[in-house]
Amino acid sequence: MTTAEQLEGPQKVTWCTGCGNYGILAALKKAVIELDIPVHNLVISSGIGCSGKIPHYIGGLNSFHTLHGRPIPVASGIHLTNSELRVIVHTGDGDCLGEGLGHFVHAARRNVNLAVFIHNNGVMGLTKGQFSPAAPRGYVSNTSPPPPGAPMDPANPVTQAIVAGATYVARGFSGDQKALVELMVGAVNHRGFAVLDILQPCVTWNRQLTWKFYNENTYSLQDNGHDVTNKLSALEKALSSDSKIPIGVFYKVDAPDLASGIALPKDVPLKDHITNLKDVQKIIDDLVL
Amino acid sequence: MDITFNIGGEAGQGIDTIGDLLSQVFVQAGFYTFTIKDFESRIRGGYNFTQVRVSDRPIHAPVDCIDVIVALSREAVTEQRNNLEEEGVIIFDDTIEFDNLEACHYPAPLERIAKEVGGNVRMMNAAALGAILSVLRFPFKLAEEALNAIFGRKGEAVVASNVAVAKALYDLTTEKFTGTCRYSLDTLEHGPCKDRLLLTGSRALALGAMAANLKWISAYPMSPSTSVFMDIVSYAHDLNIGALQTEDEIASICMAIGASYTGARSMVTTSGGGFSLMVEAVGLSAMAEAPVVIYNAQRPGPSTGLPTRTEQADLLFMAFASQGEFPRIMLAPKDPLEAFDVATRAFNLADKFQIPVMILGDQYFADSVMNIQRIDVSGVKIDRGKLAASGPDPDYKRYLLTKDGISPRAFPGDEGKSVVSSGNVHREDGHITENADIRTKMVAKFMNKLPAIMESLNPPILYGNEGAEITLLTWGSTWGAANEAMQILKDAGVSINQLHFCDLYPLRTEKLRKVLSKSRQIISVEQNVTSQFAQLVKMATGITAHHHINKYDGRPMTARWIVDEIREAGIK
Repeated sequence: MTTAEQLEGPQKVTWCTGCGNYGILAALKKAVIELDIPVHNLVISSGIGCSGKIPHYIGGLNSFHTLHGRPIPVASGIHLTNSELRVIVHTGDGDCLGEGLGHFVHAARRNVNLAVFIHNNGVMGLTKGQFSPAAPRGYVSNTSPPPPGAPMDPANPVTQAIVAGATYVARGFSGDQKALVELMVGAVNHRGFAVLDILQPCVTWNRQLTWKFYNENTYSLQDNGHDVTNKLSALEKALSSDSKIPIGVFYKVDAPDLASGIALPKDVPLKDHITNLKDVQKIIDDLVL
Repeated sequence: MDITFNIGGEAGQGIDTIGDLLSQVFVQAGFYTFTIKDFESRIRGGYNFTQVRVSDRPIHAPVDCIDVIVALSREAVTEQRNNLEEEGVIIFDDTIEFDNLEACHYPAPLERIAKEVGGNVRMMNAAALGAILSVLRFPFKLAEEALNAIFGRKGEAVVASNVAVAKALYDLTTEKFTGTCRYSLDTLEHGPCKDRLLLTGSRALALGAMAANLKWISAYPMSPSTSVFMDIVSYAHDLNIGALQTEDEIASICMAIGASYTGARSMVTTSGGGFSLMVEAVGLSAMAEAPVVIYNAQRPGPSTGLPTRTEQADLLFMAFASQGEFPRIMLAPKDPLEAFDVATRAFNLADKFQIPVMILGDQYFADSVMNIQRIDVSGVKIDRGKLAASGPDPDYKRYLLTKDGISPRAFPGDEGKSVVSSGNVHREDGHITENADIRTKMVAKFMNKLPAIMESLNPPILYGNEGAEITLLTWGSTWGAANEAMQILKDAGVSINQLHFCDLYPLRTEKLRKVLSKSRQIISVEQNVTSQFAQLVKMATGITAHHHINKYDGRPMTARWIVDEIREAGIK
């Protein structure tokens, strides 16, 4: 059984006081304990940004802190060569929806068995507050054009995921621990591409998307009745221009995952499989005239 | 005997199948063959050719002069006219309208006979073969034996119809053809060559990678690298190799790095443009010490350049690609046989030093076909490098500081260990840091690998006598043409040798200094405009080449071209 002591962070946390990431880290630890998967079989692949630092604040498990925008392809390589591992991607809205959006869409299309947790605060925090792809239209920052602010609509990861083919799509809020842990556990246990968009305030830079805003403007999908197997109603909820933001599972279906279409050995993880040299010799000999 | 055939036509007309059949027949008959492919970036139409050179002595490059042209389109009838030997022959299908007939022209009913005798227009390759062999007075008995061996696996009916079509054209040509050819092979018997494995550089690399226990390959299609990926995909199910065509080259290399982190041997294949996209992740492979083998089949750049043609101009780019400083290894096989060996070595070197290893090929290397001896895989050794002791170890450190800079690897899933990797500067346990002292130690860790890396690389090979006055300095696929040029000049009384490099970077300099110090004229011969390898040599040793021979038109070199360049430059 995994204990809280095992998961104690190897490093001092560098996030700002009051940061939404603390709630995500706390929920992750609770989820790992609840999942009760041996920690040596858990891997975190993270990108770059405040979200990317999470592997250094949780101990015991494996992790790979990769490049900006690339934690999903790295995680795909990890999962496919050792499908006994459970791989969780921690990425930010800048990481996942900016440089990484192409990978995100294609990974969803492939239904690769990963759980992707997007730390979504609408802002590029670590580079000091530029507007992210998830920033609302008109968001004023040091790189958005004055006077209108960001002159474009935000990327919506929930919509993107549903349309692209993800088979578990949910939204959580860093301030709602109970629901967030449940959604994380659900995402990791789901076989296929699971996306969890996690709303989290950036207390330093983002004056619009605050704790107060989220507390007042979110509601539970599940408490209000929603069919998670219906793609169109999932999209309807995801696209809703209602001022209230839905939290919970939008979409969840079963579909063949990528690994089932790859030449993986039956008995061992791919990384432990050894090619029989006699088979290679036979291939060569068949080519000899 | 040294004959060259050129089969020209539109893309999609089947010129490759004629070329393949021709080389197979000569291989069966005991000869050395060397085939190049020259094609445009289009699916149908245009003008493309396959050029097959056949000899009773080993050959490693094409030549400029053609003995027999087989033309499947009007353009192909005229396109190579100037390269035809004085007693050369141009065979073309008699449905092609062409009036300016000379003695060398021979319109033949290839398509008609293929349909009438073989019942299928696709038998044109056998028809063309019959016409070619008749023009050469090649004994049909040898051809029949060869066709039996080539088509034997497909059943008697296939053999019989191929033989019948070839024979029909052979007899018809013997009767009708009135021109001359500089070869009359009527007394020909089996040649001396026993090498029966017809292989491209691409396929040899694929076979080497598979023998080296490759378990993961991800790639995005890009000429001229794709054939390696296609070959491996075709065996992926049988050998259990994970293979995925990704959304782009960035994803390819990132997946390969993820695979490497879990302990699978991984590889990516691409060309220069794709490698450009991969560059940031090359740095991740280095920083995380997650070894990856990267194959770049070079083509002329910059940008899209000439997508289906050849160049060696990515050398310095690859040597210095990525921000920051770290060790890497670069290897450039000269031919298919060496390619197999290079592939198996690349994976061992990558694992041993936990670094990216790059294999540089080019379109000429990738697509050229030659017959080589049967490759025996029993000699392939797998060296995974330093591995951590099995069993739980709560204090396991992925980046443990050691004297040789190499830390024992463990993999996620290993019970009782936590494997932490990062592209940021990290502590021994893999967690990130900005500490100046650790940063310095981690850079030193990279650099401490260098002495052993140098030891593991092969020195260059000297062809000819040490102490010759002129040295040809070559690397990778230009070996064959330069080697033949050296022989031609030597035979003409020139004091010349060739110093050839497969292992390019980091550059071993002992033998290089020894050989070059004795030569009066160093001539670099490279398929690029800036003599990139000569620049690398100068950087590492201060030795400057005296002359530079550079080809950058996208077409491979020939020995005659090199000899002419040397003579025109007045080098003696």
